[in-house]
Amino acid sequence: MNVLFSMFTYLIQVMLPFMGILIIGCCFKSLFSNLSFRHPLIALINKTTGEKIPIVYWENSIGRDKHCDIVVNSPTASRDHAVLYRRDEGWFISDTNSKGGVYLNGTPISEDEKVYIDDIIQIGGINYELRKSDVFYDESEKNSLKNSYNKFYAGGSLLILVSFFQAFCTVQMCFSGPSFNYEPLKIFGLLLGISWASFFVSKYIIRRSNFELETLGIFLSSIGIINSAGVDVKLTYTQIICLGIGIIFFEIILAFIKDPDISMKFRPYIAVIALILLAINLVFGKVKNGSQNWVMLGPFSFQPSEIVKVAFVFFGSSTIKGIQTTKNLTLFILFSVACMGALFLMNDFGTACIFFVTFILIAFMRSGSIRTVVLTCAAAVIGAGFILKFKPHIVTRFSAWRHVWEHINDAGGYQQTRVLAYSASGGLLGLGIGKGALKHVFAAPSDLVFGMLCEEWGVIMGILIVLTIAILGIYARSASIRSRSAFYSIASCCGAGMLVFQMMLNVFGVVDILPLTGVTLPFISLGGSSLISVWGILAFIKASDERTYAIKR
Amino acid sequence: MKNTRFRSIIIYIVVCFFFAGIGFFLFEFIANSRQWAFSPVNRHLSEGNMSGGKILDTNNIILAQTVDGKRVYNEKEDIRRAMLHIVGDGSVLIPTSVQSRYNSELFGYNPVIGFGAPHVFDINQNIKLTLDSEICAKVSKSFKNKKGAALAYNYLTGEVLCMVSLPTYDINNRPTFEESSNDKYEGVYINRAISSSFTPGSIFKIFTAAAGLDLIPDVEKRTFECKKVKIIDGEKVTCMSNHGKINLKDAMSKSCDIVFSDIAIELGREKMKAKMEEYGLNKPEYFDGMQVTSSSYDVMNASKADLGWSGIGQSKDKVSPLYMLKVMGAIANKGIYIEPFAVKSLFTDSSGEYSNNSKNSSKRMFSESTAESLKEMMRYTMKNQYKDSMFGGIQMCAKTGTAEVGEDKLPHGWMVGFSYDKTFPVAFSVVVENGDFGIKSAGPVAADMIKELHGAFKSGKYEKK
Repeated sequence: MNVLFSMFTYLIQVMLPFMGILIIGCCFKSLFSNLSFRHPLIALINKTTGEKIPIVYWENSIGRDKHCDIVVNSPTASRDHAVLYRRDEGWFISDTNSKGGVYLNGTPISEDEKVYIDDIIQIGGINYELRKSDVFYDESEKNSLKNSYNKFYAGGSLLILVSFFQAFCTVQMCFSGPSFNYEPLKIFGLLLGISWASFFVSKYIIRRSNFELETLGIFLSSIGIINSAGVDVKLTYTQIICLGIGIIFFEIILAFIKDPDISMKFRPYIAVIALILLAINLVFGKVKNGSQNWVMLGPFSFQPSEIVKVAFVFFGSSTIKGIQTTKNLTLFILFSVACMGALFLMNDFGTACIFFVTFILIAFMRSGSIRTVVLTCAAAVIGAGFILKFKPHIVTRFSAWRHVWEHINDAGGYQQTRVLAYSASGGLLGLGIGKGALKHVFAAPSDLVFGMLCEEWGVIMGILIVLTIAILGIYARSASIRSRSAFYSIASCCGAGMLVFQMMLNVFGVVDILPLTGVTLPFISLGGSSLISVWGILAFIKASDERTYAIKR
Repeated sequence: MKNTRFRSIIIYIVVCFFFAGIGFFLFEFIANSRQWAFSPVNRHLSEGNMSGGKILDTNNIILAQTVDGKRVYNEKEDIRRAMLHIVGDGSVLIPTSVQSRYNSELFGYNPVIGFGAPHVFDINQNIKLTLDSEICAKVSKSFKNKKGAALAYNYLTGEVLCMVSLPTYDINNRPTFEESSNDKYEGVYINRAISSSFTPGSIFKIFTAAAGLDLIPDVEKRTFECKKVKIIDGEKVTCMSNHGKINLKDAMSKSCDIVFSDIAIELGREKMKAKMEEYGLNKPEYFDGMQVTSSSYDVMNASKADLGWSGIGQSKDKVSPLYMLKVMGAIANKGIYIEPFAVKSLFTDSSGEYSNNSKNSSKRMFSESTAESLKEMMRYTMKNQYKDSMFGGIQMCAKTGTAEVGEDKLPHGWMVGFSYDKTFPVAFSVVVENGDFGIKSAGPVAADMIKELHGAFKSGKYEKK
């Protein structure tokens, strides 16, 4: 019997990565397939030339600048003259501090005005007529257009696959010890409950049209939870609760940013709250493992810096109107400097790095200025040089980088050498959940989780998971180019970029490709604040998908 | 939005960095996973639950095995110390050891399944060595705390019977990293028998004699003259004593430096180099399929006197104990040596012995007549110079060497040889680092080793297997 069981559990274990590939593949296939070419939403007709201009985006910049979505060839038009954008209520035109002004049906507008079909918009002396998009099609084509969008995908079948995956993991864990262990069954029950509850709420109460992104998130989070259950089952209950909170946080953010214009107004308050959180952290923070980034709330401890990540992306994002009316990044730069300064004071260099890269992403997305990026990087290099000069002990932290095998028993290379040795011990297919030895090393389920994945789940699984996060970055970009607002586009790209960079810092840090900084692996690492924060970022990616806020009829 | 669309490409840059990094990781994983898995930090091996195959010596004495998930080694400290370099310490520090070289077979490791295969697959194999661990332990003690290496093998079958490298340490009491880099443990992880080369001193005269026999007609009948010191182009070549008129055979037995430096100079750089390379110097050396330290002979930029010195094993000459063992095997065996090997067979617990490792591949090193002449010269040297009593009456052929290493250090002492008696087909090679004269330092080690092996042969200890 023993022989049969060990064969059986090994078979399951070997199957897991392939099942993972199937789940990830299906999720992304479904996500990407809905991003095919789009038809124009409406049309503008230049009354002077008769040119038909297709309007394909939800937010369109209008101006003399050749980078504008609608280029006005008139010397009296400003470079960034106006914005034509769509909201649930219809189309709006907004004058973004132009010199010549915008005229709607002959009258100058002072604030955002709603525009209707057949309205005439005058910009820089040129008249444009707003028309339905069918000016681009013959009669025969019109019928075929009607159902091309909003193909509803039943995400339930993917979630069934994920549930099976969770079940197989559970079976493997139950039989991993010398005797049958019931504890993993409880975890499985909780995971199943959270997965399906969030699915039904999303589909039948909030009435969203798709669930693939959430499925991905649940899949990754449950791998993290099951992995930490292999270390100690007790650790996982808080993590499961945090997954629940994370999913709720995800929905709250989605609801909160439903209207990008309102979100724009809230940005200053969010920034203030974020700064207050960091201030509280600095004053009341506790030092754990060298970084003072923990705040104790009774029996709970959490990391405010994780939540500030979400606020950072939120504050950095902007609609086209916002970009065109606020030309400089001064406020955002000040906010970023404050955040990074606070993190340096907390000795949390890894997170400071993440904020810095996200800052570059946001600054570039908003300004498009390569000069800004280069200058920022140069400033950072000089800054880093100063820090190293005045705090030389930081250098010693990185002295073992690329020489970890010469530091197998000191802090410089202790963790990395264990990660490498045990990853190799696991091989491509792994030793089985809970059977690893890396779990005995300090911070294994959080900072070193990639090594645990490689050892217990196999290198294939480890790479699959990090690959998923990287593809999430590609998806965020693909979805964001047709978002309902540039606000979502920027939030989504920069949020995803933040996740990918954080993942790189973590994974490449533990395998000695980059210096070890001790940041978490998104979704997978044990750590409640981190998990909640990641789900918050995921909400931005979700929001960038045009279908997210579609009203189901 | 067109702008946003264009600018969002920046995220691809981040993703590209990721792909570059993960590609690099995969490359490193493929290249180094074995090293990582067998690093000393891995608790799966040192105290984990990985079962590993046994390592046995030729008499089925267990040198290493896994008991209750722990790797344990032979219970006797002297055997553990003597066998360290061949058995290995379960880490990558001794890459030439059996536990490192055969880790896939012993521990069922490969980079695809890691250590993860269920035990029912029975993929752990046991390894049986050709070595006699008890004799190795005794020979180690003969070194009297000096560094060096000793090798002995059956020149008819290729089985290495004794292989010892010193310094060593007890695997149950490993030196820490700092300790192992200090003087006492210098080069402790190196198996000197195969992975080191030393200045040969007078044992190199065997090669010079071989070249002379091959290229100079009637060299054996020629009379040479030794006046203790010879000035060549203003540089000195010196001998231990004034041998006067002397023939090749006596020059070998009395180890006359002048004679052999004369032969080297007479042959000249090109011919010497060509001959030495024919004998295998400057050629890659292999042991059990792995490349090990090769022996070298370099006279490219040598002056005439240097060429003379090169003929008596000084100058830039370097030989490894393993290579000298092969040379002895070749001389004993009509110029053809049998490739030495230490792993006899691999077998699983359930299916028994299934893979025989003895390759028995052979290669000609000397012509038959040259080999016979060298053999007789070495027998003559043994009889007249060292006396048979040294080996307890066993008829041996041998040559000692004393290699000056300068810097106020004692010279390296060498003794190489083989049995004249075909019923005891053993060749040996011993080097003692900074041990003083070959006969004083390497001699007693060789004598102890040969006497022990002779006893074992005569008692029929190896015949059953």
